[in-house]
Amino acid sequence: MNVTVAIDTGGTFTDVVAINQQSGAITAIKTPSTPSDPSVGLLDGVRKVLEKVGAEPKDLAMLLHGSTVATNAVLEHKFAGLGLIVTRGFRHMIEIARQSVPDGYGNSFFWVKPPRLVPLHLVREVPGRMKFDGSELEAIDEEETLQAVRELVEDGVKCIGVCLLHSYANGEHERRIGDLIEKNFPGVFVSLSSVVLPEYREYERAMTTLVDVLVKPYCKTYLQSAADRLREQSGDIPFLIMQSNGGVVKHSTAGEKPVTMLLSGPAAGILGAIHMATLAGYDNILTSDVGGTSTDIAIIEKQTPMYTSESMIEHYPVKTPMLDIVTVGSGGGSIAWTDPYGSLKVGPQSAGADPGPICYGRGGTQPTVTDAAIVLGRLPTSLIGGEIKLDLDAARKAYEALGRQHDMKPEEVASGVLEIAAVNQVFGIRKVTTSRGRDPGNYAMVAFGGAGGLFATEVADFLGMKTVISPPDPGNLCALGLHVSDVRRDYIRTMVRRQSVADISEIVSAWTALADEGRRDIRAEGIADSDIKIEYVADVRYFGEGHEVQVTAPEGAAGDAAVAHMWKDFHRVHDESFGFHYEGEQDVELVNLRVRAVGIQSRPQINSTEKVGAHAKPFGSRNVYWKGAGWIESPLYERTELAAGQVIEGPAIVQEYGSTVVVPGGWTCTADRYRNLILTARETQS
Amino acid sequence: MSSKKNMKLGPIELEVIHGTIRAAELEIEAAVERTARSPMIRDQHDYRVALFDAKGRKLTGRSYSAIVEPVFEYFGEDNIFPGDVFFWNDPYNSCGGIGHVPDLCTTVPIFHENKLIGFSQVFGHHDDIGGAVPGSLPVHATDSWMEGVIIPPIKLYDKGVLNEAAFRIITRNSRLEDHLAGDLDAEIGACKLGSRRIVSLAERYGVETLEAAFEQILKNAAEIFRREILPKIKDGVYHYEDYIEADGVEEGKIHALRVTMTKTPDKIVLDFNGTDPEAKGPINWSLDEAEGRYFRKWLAPVLRSLAASPERAAEIDSNEGVLDVIDVVFPKKGTLITPTFGKPTGMRFFLMLRSLGVFAACLSKATDGRMPADHETIRIWGLTGGRNRDDFFLFREVLGGGGPGRPWADGSDVVHIVPNSRNLPAEFSETRYPIMVEQLALKVDSGGAGFRRGGFGYDKRIRALDDCKLISNADRSILGCYGVNGGKIGQNYQVSVIESGVEKVYPGMSDTVVVEPGTSVRVVTTGGGGWGDPLAREADKVLYDLQCGLISEASARDDYGLAVTLKGRKWTYDAAQTQALRERLKKARGTPSMFDRGEAFRAMKAKGMVRYPENWSDPDEGWHAVGEGASFSQAAE
Repeated sequence: MNVTVAIDTGGTFTDVVAINQQSGAITAIKTPSTPSDPSVGLLDGVRKVLEKVGAEPKDLAMLLHGSTVATNAVLEHKFAGLGLIVTRGFRHMIEIARQSVPDGYGNSFFWVKPPRLVPLHLVREVPGRMKFDGSELEAIDEEETLQAVRELVEDGVKCIGVCLLHSYANGEHERRIGDLIEKNFPGVFVSLSSVVLPEYREYERAMTTLVDVLVKPYCKTYLQSAADRLREQSGDIPFLIMQSNGGVVKHSTAGEKPVTMLLSGPAAGILGAIHMATLAGYDNILTSDVGGTSTDIAIIEKQTPMYTSESMIEHYPVKTPMLDIVTVGSGGGSIAWTDPYGSLKVGPQSAGADPGPICYGRGGTQPTVTDAAIVLGRLPTSLIGGEIKLDLDAARKAYEALGRQHDMKPEEVASGVLEIAAVNQVFGIRKVTTSRGRDPGNYAMVAFGGAGGLFATEVADFLGMKTVISPPDPGNLCALGLHVSDVRRDYIRTMVRRQSVADISEIVSAWTALADEGRRDIRAEGIADSDIKIEYVADVRYFGEGHEVQVTAPEGAAGDAAVAHMWKDFHRVHDESFGFHYEGEQDVELVNLRVRAVGIQSRPQINSTEKVGAHAKPFGSRNVYWKGAGWIESPLYERTELAAGQVIEGPAIVQEYGSTVVVPGGWTCTADRYRNLILTARETQS
Repeated sequence: MSSKKNMKLGPIELEVIHGTIRAAELEIEAAVERTARSPMIRDQHDYRVALFDAKGRKLTGRSYSAIVEPVFEYFGEDNIFPGDVFFWNDPYNSCGGIGHVPDLCTTVPIFHENKLIGFSQVFGHHDDIGGAVPGSLPVHATDSWMEGVIIPPIKLYDKGVLNEAAFRIITRNSRLEDHLAGDLDAEIGACKLGSRRIVSLAERYGVETLEAAFEQILKNAAEIFRREILPKIKDGVYHYEDYIEADGVEEGKIHALRVTMTKTPDKIVLDFNGTDPEAKGPINWSLDEAEGRYFRKWLAPVLRSLAASPERAAEIDSNEGVLDVIDVVFPKKGTLITPTFGKPTGMRFFLMLRSLGVFAACLSKATDGRMPADHETIRIWGLTGGRNRDDFFLFREVLGGGGPGRPWADGSDVVHIVPNSRNLPAEFSETRYPIMVEQLALKVDSGGAGFRRGGFGYDKRIRALDDCKLISNADRSILGCYGVNGGKIGQNYQVSVIESGVEKVYPGMSDTVVVEPGTSVRVVTTGGGGWGDPLAREADKVLYDLQCGLISEASARDDYGLAVTLKGRKWTYDAAQTQALRERLKKARGTPSMFDRGEAFRAMKAKGMVRYPENWSDPDEGWHAVGEGASFSQAAE
């Protein structure tokens, strides 16, 4: 047997999906996560799923993995032992940051600046200065630098970030400092900004470098120990790690630049959503991954996700390319409450996974969105094939109490809570659509995650979206996404040049150098040359502007042709993004050259069902409350029993092992060959 | 989507409507940033947006805004139609809502089924609107006409038709015509986006329900101030004053803003009688119209500092509802805030900050010193040069200053009052302009000492690589930010030119200083005022600042009374000696006053530069720090 396993480690559960490479059979399980030593949960997941499919450890052909180790190190503030080396004159750089205060006008009176990643006394400045064109203005002083490092180490520093001015243009000084540290202090972890992110804007580059070096010890140790155990049981098989850019790399590559692992989990979910939506015939989608405390939202056009280099983790900017995901603090565990002024609120507080909603019976006392769904009859009284019993009475009592505060029946207030939860998601979706000049009506929503199917149609209604897709096993889509990923690495170099005076050959040779580096690295991941794809991307702006747009060269274009395309196409992209352009009127300025190097992996065959049947048959019915219509005895369907092409008219509920999909009146639900459910709004709704 | 007409307003509808309005405010902001042209708007975020109901009452609350009263006053209710776009920047014909000419204000009425249901508005600080100097903020202006083109309220679009003549005249008067034209399109587009959100609510719930929700949203905002804030302020009458130190025109004169705050259980009245006469230079601010509705909404957010926590403060909206709890009384025509027609107003932002400061100081008196100290965060500095249109450059930064010390925390370093206003990275500036950033630092000792000290200001040095002229539009270069409740004053702003090792200091209001290639400009911005007794500050906090090099050894000893010694690279202190030193310092100084305005002010007073009007006495007199700083911090928790 030949089995590929994908494991997505979450905060509470680890999702495991195995695919038999011969038969195409998919097997999914959930195991508890082991935060104290995540490699235990990882190997445990491998063992359990192999047992379930009846395979031996030696049958494991490849392990794909999405991990939260990097994210947790930042979120748990494991900052101790971090030091920073900067150019002389810039010691206060990260204290000053960008001077900006978030939120409302005048908050500077009361807002408290969050602690910096490195306390000021562990920041050292060293002599040596580059100019923006990469020429040397002042040489470095090895003796003085070494003394600075020595003092940092004496003060307890174990991880050092190095960020010198204009190192994106010439990393020589940083490289020499890196060598010095490695030679004299071999146990100390080092990250150089010219390696992590050779992009200009010193504060953001320094922060990205610091996040990289701070997670390095955790990621390297974890990946190494997992790889060792894996080798013991299954031999030298590929062990690939998902990065925030939606691509995988070898575990050893990931450990060298672990800042790229930050959004590993959500990125995989998006890939899974794209894959299933594509099978269903939808290229332009909006993904909504509804978890316990939050919802991750992303836009996909022509099967391609958007990228951003403007992400923040907590208060700290991380500028490595990531999938563009907006997170809103609204999920299945969001708590419904009445504020002191009598207003009904949902979230942002969440019951999370522990204690969880009241109906889970694990000590939750505050009514949540999930409790509202059970009160309304949307959820069954047991989940995961009967393994988890839900306490309807306790949930109902809580909603009776909440209803009394507003002079409403429990089902009325529960229905309102779902409506408010839906609206909270609508605001997040507008951030990636209308706020960026897109009409949400042009996209199909792929709703997944544990609570994805519970009120997706309400969200769609608010936004004028006509189609909602619920993929099979919506709770395991991240692990599926790992299976359909490609190898992917990103390269960047800042090169600020105006079109009117630019030397084209200089741009071409820099871009080609990045591409060569990419091709070499992807080859080293074990990908054949014929499967390597190079995308040329540039960040460009009008001269005088402070913000750039990304222009991508068409497939196959390289060298002079790519540069010519960049100058020309920039105007179109600018117009598309901002609603205006100045073609022929204003000078254009290149800022960053980028290369995305992709190693195409073969996709596993996802089995389609051959089952056909004229009419879907409900297996029972339940009393469900529908807004505007009241309580209706509504049919229940089992998803795995549905055959391709079968149509269900709402109101109805479709259940499966790990999830529930709600089809309100006015919506039609159609099953496809891949067990996707396609929900469409009928044109004439009441 | 269902369209239910005039359903009853319940908690669900209210929350959805309120949530939509809050989200729409953010959405309009995002639209402005995405499509505007001026760096001042896109990067420094110097613009405000708002949604209003049909009566012109402000519904959004994250941020202050201009007002829509000019639409009623200059056109009347019967002359507002779908497709109209109202437009103005006239500081003397905008009902007090626009303070200086670079702020162009765009207002779009919102209609549902031909009924006016609200307004959507954006105003932004544009790069240039003509006048005597690039950037339209001439330091030496003596009337409004020197400051740029003045547009009284007009219809830029009349029922959807562009007034092309007006558009061309307005844009032709800007040095950056393209920027201005682009900005205007962006602002109109953003207003319309906001309108659509209100219209969709009207479609969903019906106008009556929507208007009932508006009413409730305003009531709730007032109620939050009444329940959470007002009870913390002792009833009574309180005075304060603060100064603009120069007006750019008349030398050797300081200009006082004076306020009398009367607090009763349900209301705060701020009476600005006693304020000095209007200035000859551009520091005036024309506010005395429309019952001060603009000014009251500008001032009210100061009260948020008394909320239960900084997190709670950030949640509190200040919409039109705040008019229920705050009132203002203007002096008669001819003062700094009631200037006569045509007096220059370019640097009115000094008074904007000073007005927040005098209000906060009255609140300090009325809360046993529980308010933050003072901070100054708006000033503009830059270098401009070039020989012709092609190599003309304007390197301009809006640099923040140290935040105020407050009971719950030290002041944040180099912050800006405008949300998300950012400084320019050295790597960007050096690539773009003929300059080199030699130092990007915090100014040592600049934060006022205190139990919670003020935040630090900048100490930035930039070498000119070409011929330049220096621009500095800054106040507080003589009189720093006051400290509260025993906290010390923060250090002041300073701009200087360093040539061959010799540093020459220039006035904060300068725009004619020539900078030769190879010489350096140093800009030091204000530190925030300190809060509470510095001698009560925890020793480890003092030691940490010293170890970081943020305060000097002298300050550790003299301001904080810490007996420190350097051992190797580590500072340590001796507990017994510290106690003795602190006792000695306490004895020598006596009970500290409630406010510290520093040496420069004492010197001015001694010279007779501070003159009080009739019925007015020194507002600092008789006010002392209350208790030890430490006891407040416990009370605050």
